[in-house]
Amino acid sequence: MAMALAVAPTRMELLKLRQRVGLAQKGYDLLKEKMDALVIEFFEVLKRIQEARPKALEQLSVAHRALSMCFAIVGTLETKQASKETKRELQVDVSTRHIMGIAVPAVEVGEVERNALIRGYGLHMTSSVLDEASKKFERALKLLIELAEFEESAFAIAREFEKTKRRVNALEYILIPRLKEAIKFIMMRLDEMERENFSRLKRIKAMLEERE
Amino acid sequence: MSYKIAVVGDQDTITGFALAGATYTHIHTAREETLAKLNEFFASGEIGLVLITHRVAEEFGFDFRQMLRTKGLLPLVLRIPDKTGYMPKVDELRKIIRRTVGAEIMVKKEGL
Repeated sequence: MAMALAVAPTRMELLKLRQRVGLAQKGYDLLKEKMDALVIEFFEVLKRIQEARPKALEQLSVAHRALSMCFAIVGTLETKQASKETKRELQVDVSTRHIMGIAVPAVEVGEVERNALIRGYGLHMTSSVLDEASKKFERALKLLIELAEFEESAFAIAREFEKTKRRVNALEYILIPRLKEAIKFIMMRLDEMERENFSRLKRIKAMLEERE
Repeated sequence: MSYKIAVVGDQDTITGFALAGATYTHIHTAREETLAKLNEFFASGEIGLVLITHRVAEEFGFDFRQMLRTKGLLPLVLRIPDKTGYMPKVDELRKIIRRTVGAEIMVKKEGL
C-alpha cells in the first residue's frame, strides 16, 4: 500500500488534494497518449531502418571487395597514396526535425558520387580499378548516411520513450496512489470526528436531562 | 548547416572512405589515441557524422556508450562492419527496443 502523505485532516486540505489528483490524472492521461504516439513513431523509423540497413551493408561489403581488388591490382601503397590525394570535402547538411517535441536529425546529402576527374588523385599511375573502388565506397557512404539518420532518430525516440515511461509509472504507481491514500485518510478522520462530536452531544444532552 | 564526415576504424575502412571523400579519418591502433581522437571529433562542432567500425566501438565498450549518452544531437554516430563484415551478436538497436518496449520485437521480414 502506498504510504500516505503527511497531511492535516482538514476540509481545506481535502479539497486541495482532490484538485491535485485531478491534475495528476490529467497529466497521466496526456503522457500515456504521448507514449502511444512515440511507439507509433518508433515503429515507423524501425521499418525504415529495416529497409535501409541491408542495402547499405550490402553496398559496403561490395565496396570492400572492390577495394581489396584495388589493393591487389594497383598496390597497397599506391592506393593509400591515392586516398591521401583525394579531395576529402564531402559535406552533409544536418538539420533537426521535431517529432512530438523531440529533436531528431534530418540529413541531406548532395551527390556523393564523383567523377574520377574531380576526385583529386592523379590519373597517371592509377587504374580504373581504383575509380571503381572509390565509386563503390561513395555509393556505400551515401546509403550509410541515410541509415545513420534513421538509427539516430530511433535512438532519440527510444530515449524519450524511456523518460516518458518513467514519468507515467511514477504518476501511476506512486503519486496518484499516495494522493488517494491521503484523501482516504482525511475522509476517515473527518468521519471519525463527526462521530465523536455526535456521541459527545448525546452525552451532554443526557447530562442536561439528568440535571432537570 | 553543413558538416563534415569522420571515420574511425582499420586501415582498409579508412582508405575506402577517404577515397569516397570523408574529411577526417583515424586509424585505430592505440586505445588512448583513438579515445582522444573520438573526443575531439565529438567536441568539434563541424563534424556531422562519425562512422566507427563495430570492432573499434566494441573495444571501447563502456567509454563509447558513455560518450554516446552525453553527446548532443550531433554528431550522428553509426557503427559499421569492417571489411570482414564483423558485427556484434547483440544488436544495439535491439537492446534498446527490449529495454524500452519491454519485449523483443521480431519483424517478420528478417532484415536486421
